[in-house]
Amino acid sequence: MTDKNAAGKKAADQKTADPVQMWHSFLGDMEKTFNSMSNQAMESAEFSRLMNRMTGASAGAKKAFGDSMEKYLAAMNLPSRGEFTELGERLLTIESRLNEIMSLLQRVHAEVLSGDNAPSAAPRPPRTRRPPSKSGDAT
Amino acid sequence: MSMSAQKAAPSAADRIQLEVQRAIQRSIKGVEYFASAAPVLGTTEKDLLHSRGTMKLYHYRPLADEIYRVPLLLVMATTNRGYILDMVPGQSLVEFLLQRGFDVYMLDWTAPRPEERGLKFEDYVLDFIPDCIRRVQQDSGETDVSVIGYCFGGVLSLLYASIFTDGPLKNLICFTTPIDFRRMTLFQSFSDRRYFDVDKLVDSVGNVPPELIFQSFEMLRPASRPIGQIQLWENMWSDEFVKSYRMFDRWAQDTLPLAGEYFRQTTKDLMWDNKLYEGTMTVGGRRADISRITVPILHAVAEHDHIVPYDAAKPLIATVGSADKEEIILKGGHVSLVAGANAIKRLWPKIDSWLSERST
Repeated sequence: MTDKNAAGKKAADQKTADPVQMWHSFLGDMEKTFNSMSNQAMESAEFSRLMNRMTGASAGAKKAFGDSMEKYLAAMNLPSRGEFTELGERLLTIESRLNEIMSLLQRVHAEVLSGDNAPSAAPRPPRTRRPPSKSGDAT
Repeated sequence: MSMSAQKAAPSAADRIQLEVQRAIQRSIKGVEYFASAAPVLGTTEKDLLHSRGTMKLYHYRPLADEIYRVPLLLVMATTNRGYILDMVPGQSLVEFLLQRGFDVYMLDWTAPRPEERGLKFEDYVLDFIPDCIRRVQQDSGETDVSVIGYCFGGVLSLLYASIFTDGPLKNLICFTTPIDFRRMTLFQSFSDRRYFDVDKLVDSVGNVPPELIFQSFEMLRPASRPIGQIQLWENMWSDEFVKSYRMFDRWAQDTLPLAGEYFRQTTKDLMWDNKLYEGTMTVGGRRADISRITVPILHAVAEHDHIVPYDAAKPLIATVGSADKEEIILKGGHVSLVAGANAIKRLWPKIDSWLSERST
C-alpha cells in the first residue's frame, strides 16, 4: 500500500469515528427516513379523510363564527368585513379605471414625444447584442 | 504522511479546539441572529411599470451596454414572491440575466385582496399575462417577447402559449412545471375528491389563506424544518450558512394566499380532472391544448423536486408541438434549481446559452 493510500484510509477511518460527522450522518438519515415514512402514511385514503375532516371542521367553525360576528356588528351598528370588502371592490373598480386613464395618457404622451421637436427619452442600451461565438468570444 | 493527508485528518485536540471555538461563536452569533433584522432581498434596481390588484409588472434596469433584441418576461408562481429569482447580488438570476445582456421584466404577485376572491384562470391567462406582454412590447418597442415561467407561473405561461398560438411569444422556458397532476401523489392525497370539499372551503374562507398553502408545502417533508433548525444552530458560527438559511427561510414563509375561485379551478380542473395532461383544458371557453404550442421551448426540471415530482413534469416536452424543444434534468430540488449555488453553476449558464441564440 502506498503512503498516499494509507494516509487516505486513516483519514477515512478518523472521519467515520468523528462523533460530529456521525451526528450529521445520523441527522441526515433520520430526516430521510422520517420524511419517507410520513409520505407513505400521507398517501393513504385514511390520512386524506382525517386531514380533510379537520380542515372542513376548521373552515366550518370559521364560517359560523363569521356569521355570528356579522350579526353582532349589525346590532352594534358597525360595518362588517363583508361591507368593507364591498367597498374594496368599488375601490378596485376605480383603480382599474384610473389605470386605464393612465395608460391612455401615457400613450398620448408617447405620441407627443415622438414628434420632431420632442426631447429624447431616457437612453436605453441598443438591442444589437449577438450571442457569443462558438469559440467563446463575446460580441 | 503527506500535507494533504494531515489536512484531511486533524488531531483529536484540534477537533475539540475547533468545536469549542464554534460553540463560543454560536452563542455570540445566536444573539445577533435574533437581534438583527431579516435580510433585504430583491434589491436589483427596477421600476414598477404597471400595477393592478394582485398583479405587478416590473422592469429591471439594464446592466449591459448592449442588450439582446427580444425582451424577457419572468412569470412568477402565484403562491410565492418573485424575489426568489432576485435574492441578493451575486445570487440573483435577474442580475445574472441583466449582466448577460437580457432586457428583463417580471410579472410578480401580491396577496389577492378579499375582493379579488373571484379571480379565475380567465383573469390570469386571458387578461394579466396578455396585458403584461402588451406593456412589455410597448416599453421595449419590440414585437417578440420571450417568457420564463416558474412552477405554477409555468402552468399559466403554458396555458397562455396554447391559446395565443399566433401571439408575440418568441421563446418559452419553464422551470419545474407540472402538467400531469395525477403524478403529484401527495397533493393528490391532500385534495382527494372523496374527502376534500373544495367548494365548502372556498365558500367559507374566500381566498385560501397563506398558512394553508405553507402547511401543505411543509407537510411534503415534515422532518425537514426541525432538522433544518438543528442544522442552523450547529452552523450558527458560519455567516454564510446563516445568511443563506435566512434568505431561503424568509422566502419560503412568505407564501401568498390564493384567490378562491382560482384555487377551486386548480383543484377541479387540474388536480381532479387532470385536464392539462388530457388535452381537455379550456379557459374562458377557449381550448388550451399544449400540443398546439410550437415556439421553441426549454423545460428545466430538478432531480430531487419534492413539490413537483419529475413524473408530473416529464410529459411536457413530449406533449408540446414545438420542433425546437429540450428538457434538462439538473441536480437539486424545487428551489435550489433556480436559486443558490447549484443554480449558479448549472441552470443559469444553460439559460444564457439557450436563450441568447434565440433572442436576436
